[in-house]
Amino acid sequence: MIELLFFLILALFTLGTVVPLAGAKGDRRSIRVFSLACTGAASALLAAFALLVIIPGTTFALPLWQPFPGISLDLYVDRLGAFFLLLIGTVAACTAVYSSGYTEHMEGGNRRNILCGGTALFVLAMTLVVASHNTFSFLFFWELMAAVSFILVMYEYRDPGTTKAGIYYFVMTQLSTLFVMLGVIALFVLTGSFAMAPLAITPASAPLATAAFLALFFGFAIKAGIIPFHKWLFFAHPASPSPVSALMSGVMLKVAVYGLLRFILDVFSPDLWWGVLILVFGIASAVLGVIYAFKDHDIKGLLAYSSIENVGIIFTGIGLFVIFSCEGLTLLATISLLAALFHSLNHALFKSLLFLTAGSVVHATGTRDIEKMGGLAKNMPYTSVLFFTGAIAIAALPPLNGFASELLLYIAFFHSVTVVDPLLKVLLFICLALFALTSALSAACFVKAFSSVFLAQPRSDAATGAHEVSRSMLAGPAVLAAACVLLGVFACQIFIAAGYVIPFPDLLLVSILLLFMAGLTYLVLYFTASREARISETWGCGTKSQSAITEYTGHGFSEPIVTIFASVYRTKKSSTKTYSDKYNCLFGGGTAEIRLVAFFEEYIYRPIGTAAMKGATIVARMQNGCLDTYLLYVFIAVIGVIVFLGVMA
Amino acid sequence: MSADFVLYCILNTAVVVLISPLFVSLVKKVKAWTQGRQGPSVFQTYYTLAKLLRKETIYSPHASWVSRVAPVACMAAILTASLFVPLVWVTEPYGGIGNIILFLYLLVVARFFMALLGLDAGSAFGGMGSSREMSVSAVIEPTTIVVFAALAFVFKTLNIFDMMAAAVSAGTLKTPILILLAISLFIILIVETSRIPVDNPETHLELTMIHEGMILEQSGKNLALMELSAAIKQTLLMALLINLIVPWGIATTLSAAAILAALVIFLVKGCVLSLVIGTFESSMAKMRFFRLPGLFMMAFFFSTLIVIIEVFA
Repeated sequence: MIELLFFLILALFTLGTVVPLAGAKGDRRSIRVFSLACTGAASALLAAFALLVIIPGTTFALPLWQPFPGISLDLYVDRLGAFFLLLIGTVAACTAVYSSGYTEHMEGGNRRNILCGGTALFVLAMTLVVASHNTFSFLFFWELMAAVSFILVMYEYRDPGTTKAGIYYFVMTQLSTLFVMLGVIALFVLTGSFAMAPLAITPASAPLATAAFLALFFGFAIKAGIIPFHKWLFFAHPASPSPVSALMSGVMLKVAVYGLLRFILDVFSPDLWWGVLILVFGIASAVLGVIYAFKDHDIKGLLAYSSIENVGIIFTGIGLFVIFSCEGLTLLATISLLAALFHSLNHALFKSLLFLTAGSVVHATGTRDIEKMGGLAKNMPYTSVLFFTGAIAIAALPPLNGFASELLLYIAFFHSVTVVDPLLKVLLFICLALFALTSALSAACFVKAFSSVFLAQPRSDAATGAHEVSRSMLAGPAVLAAACVLLGVFACQIFIAAGYVIPFPDLLLVSILLLFMAGLTYLVLYFTASREARISETWGCGTKSQSAITEYTGHGFSEPIVTIFASVYRTKKSSTKTYSDKYNCLFGGGTAEIRLVAFFEEYIYRPIGTAAMKGATIVARMQNGCLDTYLLYVFIAVIGVIVFLGVMA
Repeated sequence: MSADFVLYCILNTAVVVLISPLFVSLVKKVKAWTQGRQGPSVFQTYYTLAKLLRKETIYSPHASWVSRVAPVACMAAILTASLFVPLVWVTEPYGGIGNIILFLYLLVVARFFMALLGLDAGSAFGGMGSSREMSVSAVIEPTTIVVFAALAFVFKTLNIFDMMAAAVSAGTLKTPILILLAISLFIILIVETSRIPVDNPETHLELTMIHEGMILEQSGKNLALMELSAAIKQTLLMALLINLIVPWGIATTLSAAAILAALVIFLVKGCVLSLVIGTFESSMAKMRFFRLPGLFMMAFFFSTLIVIIEVFA
């Protein structure tokens, strides 16, 4: 029965891929709608399938194909895998519903067929990565996922921004695959099989195990956008179509998280310093991610940086889990792992919600620059409410889901004083302070994002003429928004149902109290206060009416934080002044400039890129295309082998 | 939910709503005295609130649904947060009410809505206030969390109810560390209630305004809600300081006499703290905005030091 369901899911995904690609020539709406319907249905079934595995706690195994002895593509789903399948299914289903409206407004004619087919294949690839039973099929589907997502990113291939994003993405994603491959090979050397089974050797006795872990960690960190490997994320997310951004940010990053968790939980027995490594990378990404998000004024760029922050939070949870497990604090380890998992799900939900609604906004205004938006709450009321829900979820405000997972992490951190090692205690305290900073900055960041886009007056003609999007573009995000609210409000009940007994406050009670207090306030005001209300200009320093020019913009809003964290942003302020009299009293004119130095790009990526180019030039010199030269190479190689064998013998 | 807890909710909410305006006026009175003025009556805030409720509400033509929702949302969040800090009577906590992190985040909810409210009408004043408020609160957050973590460590619980119960039953000050924590809590109180040297609650000038800037567009009942919620927030943070550091007098049993005595003692302690706040404000000059992170860093290092001393001790 459950096998049948899974085959149905695979068939629907395949159908969703093949049909639009076969009909790629014709620019017909029906083909795309059919493909998206297949994807949506398959994803919804996938979520149902995941629940069927999670709730009874069963496992599901399915040998798929064995091309050679020892190498096979096997599927296996346990509770951990099913959890991530649930995440993939939910987000993909909502994205498919949204896409059915979104793709019809897009440019590109029959390329949109490829987009729909690619989306189906992308979701299928992610599903199969999570469902992989051995490292070989994991790697195989991992690469499929990378390749398909590259094609999706390159949708607007004529745009120079997209080309740059594509190159960054391609290089980084291949680097990620390379590292994962190295890790898998190291594991194969150690165990002689591709199975994801516990390693009998402890890391201390075999340095190769440590090397395997490091390779896998960096592979997953690149894919997850951990700083300093994050640059592709910032380019690729804004460049790709919004549903693709939602899938990549919401789901693909989580597949990397899944990979890391799977290997840590099932294969390795981690050392303490592994945990510290993951924790430090995580917290650094969280803080820097939100700091960069704060200053960004491209709405999708802002969301991309915020994804880096949230993945950082997830990695922080994983790091804490490893640390607490090594210290033997089982309850705290469980809480941290739960926080990492729950935040993965939550981030998938609210980030795809935000990317989809941001896509609606970009569609309505024709720009990604938040400085050219404003006042959209009046023209797009439903979208504004949906975005608002996402914003309060991501800003970790109770009782929504973002808060629930961050609260778990706080609880773990607050109890960390029970750790024995004093140095570790100090480290955890510093991380706690940084985590608090992250959380507060993220609230500030989303005040900025929401207010610049939706509040006050429109700052451009496009924003003035914006109109509400179609129903399907509201329905998909609406489901995600509802999920965000429900997962937050019922967090405590969900943990209990899943069998985790942890000291967690009842957010349902808090929600009821909040509603009750709001109702009480409203009633008291209704009976005691004046009910007169008038719409009129409010105080604007004596001006008769306010114009959009005087509004506080995103730049203005972020200025204090940019100044306070100037050393992180590496801002360079420069100004020149000219005077119209010889005593330098009358100001004639001048220029002022605040430049943000792209630190990682200028100091890490460019030097590496330049070095790679130089290396390539040297290699290119050897490749002169002349047959004689190549014969010489072969000759030298043969001589070399003979000499080598002679020496060895 | 036990009957005791319901009773606690009603009592605590009533006390906090009724007392809060008094402390606000008292601080103003003290500041007037130090300036050689007589100052407004200590009941002035009550009169102002009553007046505001009778006035009509004006919405800017540019305002969206946020302006209609935010004042009530803000008030609801603050009132819910008020249940987390027992003022006069400590009972058994129920369902995680009293969790110190949740308390902090409920204050963040109120701030989030207030910041959006400031930006909604599109005037530069409101935007400036919101931007500064969010920046200041972001920079003070690490300090607040470290202080709360230190409290949780000292009292071995995350729940404010249990902390206060432990403080009361200890009889004497639990540990001298608490005196040091009191200084940090006082700094948090000053920052969170927008007082000198962080903000100046008396003026609406561009140079100083943070909190006042955000609510500049508000009028009538909405302004009353914002004023009252700010007052309640101040009382809550004061109560956190008072009831943890000088806990004597809090009622632990349900009896009219004990609660009445606790109420009087709390009033006295609150008035003394208001005096301290007023004097502190009067003895200081407003700091330049970009000098504030320095002050916060000081508070942060101070609290971290305490924690580390405690950890290594």
